[in-house]
Amino acid sequence: MAQFDIPQEVEAVFHEFRTTEFTTIARDGTPITWPITAVYRPVPGEFLAATSIGLPQKAFNLRRNPRAALFFSEPRGSGLSNPPAVLVQGDANVAEKITTLEGIEDLWAKIFRFQPAAKQTSSGPLMHYLMDWYYMRIPLVISPRRIMWWPNGDFSHKPLELSHVG
Amino acid sequence: MWDSLLRKLRQYPSAILTAQDSSGYAYSVRCIPEPDRKRQALKITLPEYVEMQPGPAGLLCHYHDDLLWNQTNFVLRGTLEHEAGQWIFRPLTLVEGAGAGMNLIRQIRDGRQSAKLYLAKHGVKRPAIPWSKLAAIYKRARSG
Repeated sequence: MAQFDIPQEVEAVFHEFRTTEFTTIARDGTPITWPITAVYRPVPGEFLAATSIGLPQKAFNLRRNPRAALFFSEPRGSGLSNPPAVLVQGDANVAEKITTLEGIEDLWAKIFRFQPAAKQTSSGPLMHYLMDWYYMRIPLVISPRRIMWWPNGDFSHKPLELSHVG
Repeated sequence: MWDSLLRKLRQYPSAILTAQDSSGYAYSVRCIPEPDRKRQALKITLPEYVEMQPGPAGLLCHYHDDLLWNQTNFVLRGTLEHEAGQWIFRPLTLVEGAGAGMNLIRQIRDGRQSAKLYLAKHGVKRPAIPWSKLAAIYKRARSG
């Protein structure tokens, strides 16, 4: 059972959107947003992301300021018809230890399900040499505090909202 | 930067604008930035309900195909101002992201270098990647 009540169409977005636009706050206060793939875990109601140690700035930012946001606004490839756009604001816990597999198996499964060409970055000695850093990850667990969604992805109207989630 | 920025912006139908709300959390919306050449800034029309605060802000443009491949993206760091009912984003820095060709080579080179520095700084031995276990997850994910 989910830890908070969200409409089915919102949960479908969490599971099926190929990317979420993930924001961390830089030292100077600038919100920095990059597309990533994250896993939604209905129990205990959190999101798992993991940044490569080759791109560690997200983790550095979150260690300094745990406020994070996941914005789901790109439905391409999701197979969903007129899905809502969703913004999740929450607090991130950044793992101290890096991992390549343990604890993020569901994230790799999701990436591989969505991205058949991922095989190109994990096959053969040359790609193993060039791309091993991509598989060295710092897990980021985001606990939502506020969830807003725009039915049909229409930003002209105020979003619906579930606040005080966490 | 301005001309390069305009060339890049034209490749995307919309962008994601992010600024902080009054509680300090990031608040994002999709928007269509309109270049203001004279001011070298982007005019952005947003609905009134938007909770963004003027101040540091970021703009992301990104693309991926249906198979989460052919990804391209870039980020603008800048500031967001609200004057006479109009939002203005002033870009300060353009940060290159994913892309093909030289962008891809740069990404791999920088990724390897950053990873090496991270491991050295944290006193961690370079971990072996469990390629066969990853391949098994790939196989299950693709057959599911």
